[in-house]
Amino acid sequence: MAYRVMIVDDSRSMRAFVRRVMDLSGFEVDSCLNAANGAEALALLNEQAVDIILTDINMPEMNGEDFVRRMAEREELRSIPVVVVSTDGTQNRIRRLLDLGAKGYVVKPFSPEALRAELERVLEVENG
Amino acid sequence: MAETQTTEALSAAAADVLETMFFSPVMGEATPGASCSEPVLMARLKFSGGRSGSFTIRVSARAAATIAANFLGEETDDPEPGQVRDVVCEMANMICGSVLSRLDREAHFDLQHPELVETCGEPSLGSVCSLFEIEGGQVVLCLQLDSAA
Repeated sequence: MAYRVMIVDDSRSMRAFVRRVMDLSGFEVDSCLNAANGAEALALLNEQAVDIILTDINMPEMNGEDFVRRMAEREELRSIPVVVVSTDGTQNRIRRLLDLGAKGYVVKPFSPEALRAELERVLEVENG
Repeated sequence: MAETQTTEALSAAAADVLETMFFSPVMGEATPGASCSEPVLMARLKFSGGRSGSFTIRVSARAAATIAANFLGEETDDPEPGQVRDVVCEMANMICGSVLSRLDREAHFDLQHPELVETCGEPSLGSVCSLFEIEGGQVVLCLQLDSAA
């Protein structure tokens, strides 16, 4: 099954890299939307549906924590699983993002296999 | 925090990040010296939280171009200067985050956005540095921790 994916990161290079690693891992992508921050992502989600979202934390305008919080607050969006992709691997941060509503967390650096495993785990849980 | 512990965290984080995310394995330790004699790119970021301080990366321009090409993929053999700078900043962010997580997994850190530094400066007083070779040249990493309150 191929999935509609959104990548939220202020670094264009990082967005391209995440997309490339998904391809390398064998994770099937049907379509991929890009957003430079949480506000841009929310605006895109008003117009287009996705199956899963990968987001960075440190971004200008609306950071990843605020984005995850807003997603959880909006009934029409809270069923879309959000996976945080961050350099911050501290337990406090991971717990906080999961408490806010993120469904998965991948710490950079990550291998293609690790990214795919986390995306599939989250999608399996969400889709039963 | 012991200097040895910081040096080990710097080396381990750099090796992990460079190999996994930039497909650029560390080839060995470098000798300190004339690294400013060739064109370099430097990026610095500040962090706060469990500990505050700054992290600096200095990489030879040739090595930076190689790293950027690896990171961006096969279709980009000769990345544009803007892409190379973007990738060096991304690398600084990733290595710094990885170092801090290794030094204290329970703490909370806020990393500011990395900024490019125009001049080839020397490490700040009190910095702990790690130097090594990768394909294309030398990489220098320095972590400066502010005194604990």
